[in-house]
Amino acid sequence: MSRKKTVKGKSSTSSPTTASTNSQGEGKAGKSSTGSEVQSNGVVHPSRPSLSNSSEFYDIAFKVMLVGDSGVGKTCLLVRFKDGAFLAGSFISTVGIDFRNKVLNIDGMKVKLQIWDTAGQERFRSVTHAYYRDAHALLLLYDVTNKTSFDNIQAWLTEIHEYAQQNVVLMLLGNKADATQERVVKREEGERLAKEFGVPFMETSAKSSLNVELAFTAVAKELKHRSMKEPNEPKFKLQDYVNKEMKSTGCCRS
Amino acid sequence: MENKANGTRSPQPYPSTSSSAKDRVQSRLDPYGFERSEDFDYESYEELMSEYLVVLTRRSIKWSKLLQGGSQVEKNLKVKRYVRKGVPNEHRALIWMLASGAQEQLEKNPGYYHKLLESEHDDKLVDTIRTDLHRTFPDNIQFRKTSDPCLQKTLFNVLVAYGHHNKAVGYCQGMNFISGYLIIITKDEEKSFWLLDALLGRILPDYYNQAMLGLKTDQEVLGELVRIKVPAVWQTMTEHNVMWTLVVSRWFICLFIDVLPVETVLRIWDCLFYEGSKIIFRVALTLIKHNQAQILQARTFPDICDRFKDVTKGGFVEDCHTFMQKIFTEPGSLSMATITKLRETCRAQIVAQES
Repeated sequence: MSRKKTVKGKSSTSSPTTASTNSQGEGKAGKSSTGSEVQSNGVVHPSRPSLSNSSEFYDIAFKVMLVGDSGVGKTCLLVRFKDGAFLAGSFISTVGIDFRNKVLNIDGMKVKLQIWDTAGQERFRSVTHAYYRDAHALLLLYDVTNKTSFDNIQAWLTEIHEYAQQNVVLMLLGNKADATQERVVKREEGERLAKEFGVPFMETSAKSSLNVELAFTAVAKELKHRSMKEPNEPKFKLQDYVNKEMKSTGCCRS
Repeated sequence: MENKANGTRSPQPYPSTSSSAKDRVQSRLDPYGFERSEDFDYESYEELMSEYLVVLTRRSIKWSKLLQGGSQVEKNLKVKRYVRKGVPNEHRALIWMLASGAQEQLEKNPGYYHKLLESEHDDKLVDTIRTDLHRTFPDNIQFRKTSDPCLQKTLFNVLVAYGHHNKAVGYCQGMNFISGYLIIITKDEEKSFWLLDALLGRILPDYYNQAMLGLKTDQEVLGELVRIKVPAVWQTMTEHNVMWTLVVSRWFICLFIDVLPVETVLRIWDCLFYEGSKIIFRVALTLIKHNQAQILQARTFPDICDRFKDVTKGGFVEDCHTFMQKIFTEPGSLSMATITKLRETCRAQIVAQES
């Protein structure tokens, strides 16, 4: 593939592997860097605020990927987050891979998320998993009205462990939580699975917008915290933050 | 879009109440039932159509004469020239069927399609297809659940039949859009099935099976062709580590559906059915070469991706007749021998990398 051919002859600064390793270090953002543009790895450590193509300034950027079975609502979740709209019956299935940017204000800092939307069908994985290794965060979705999509989560996790960076920020999302009538996966089942794999979890709904903003904000906070953290600063706890901020779908939790 | 100047009433893909060209031009729907976007520029479209309708009329008369001798499409320079200049909508289904060999298959295998439909269905295949039914052309009134007849059912049949016919492929996303177009044009599910079979089984390499090796290969082949023909763009892509699959996978998988305007896609498909998969590279190279200045202005990875989306929009691609002339001149010579050779080397590289 073109990437493999090109990496050899390139300087290490723009090679995805090297740059991604940088992002795992601490306190890098304070250092000036040669360029302020978004590299393919997604992280920027600008010496001055950067101007993205959407003409929005940002201080730091990360790459987030949406993964999960076909039809679980990845594109809808992204559009809800990006544009605040729900694509009821007016969207088409995602073929290949695409991305959108959104800049968030996290504790006074402009964090740009470059969010990658992928085709969910299994055979496309051999095309899309090449992107995993550059992702800083993965949002893994299943559909609470589709048991198969939940059963496949384990396979997705295996895939992620194989191809993604070791310290990738990962969150499990049970989407379509608004569909109470059609629900076949209980919230507790999602919680249990997430616990088993040590992954933060919550239910979302692109339709009602439940927890959509929170999912992305939580990930942005975690990523920002990781890259900016002072050595003695306590670790940001993603699940604790999510639990505190989360809105519940059911009647049993307030 | 249909031409009526030759006195025959061309088939309407949806119940039409309007008759004049002007009415159709100003409709909220295009002639195939697709809703026009909010920002659709009716004025420049009307201007374009006033010229294009003249072309269509001329082509229609020529095609009618050509087809008078009987229903066959020979492979010769005259017909090739005719196809490149566009097949009028009223002859499109027939020409596609004849040129691709789909007609021959249909006649050789009477009842085969219906047998496939009546056979016991693979539940997993059916589920996968169902997931995409309501996500195929929601912007086309014929595919709405509420429309009668609803083409979702037709689409389901074609895809299920094909999945059982070609088990190595089954169902792959992208086939829904391709079948959708075939249904819109032929208005016949059995013909759509055989055209899909012609495309996937003979015209295109193995784009849609589990390994998607043909797709991965052709993306790299395009990369190599860009390296030869538009080296500056190749250089930019390389510098920014942009994999070709990221910017062109939809072009190949969907055969430009939802990438380029409907009429332009149909004109490309005229050539695809007659001349084969080489045409895809011609279109891709033309888009890239024609817009190379804009692509080269990109300074970042996401910027490059955005520009690759921009190259598929605007007047250049909307003026389908001029665009189709460009694809045979702008990229320069492109022999099948070159493509075959590149396909061999790229495929071998991918296989080696994946093993």
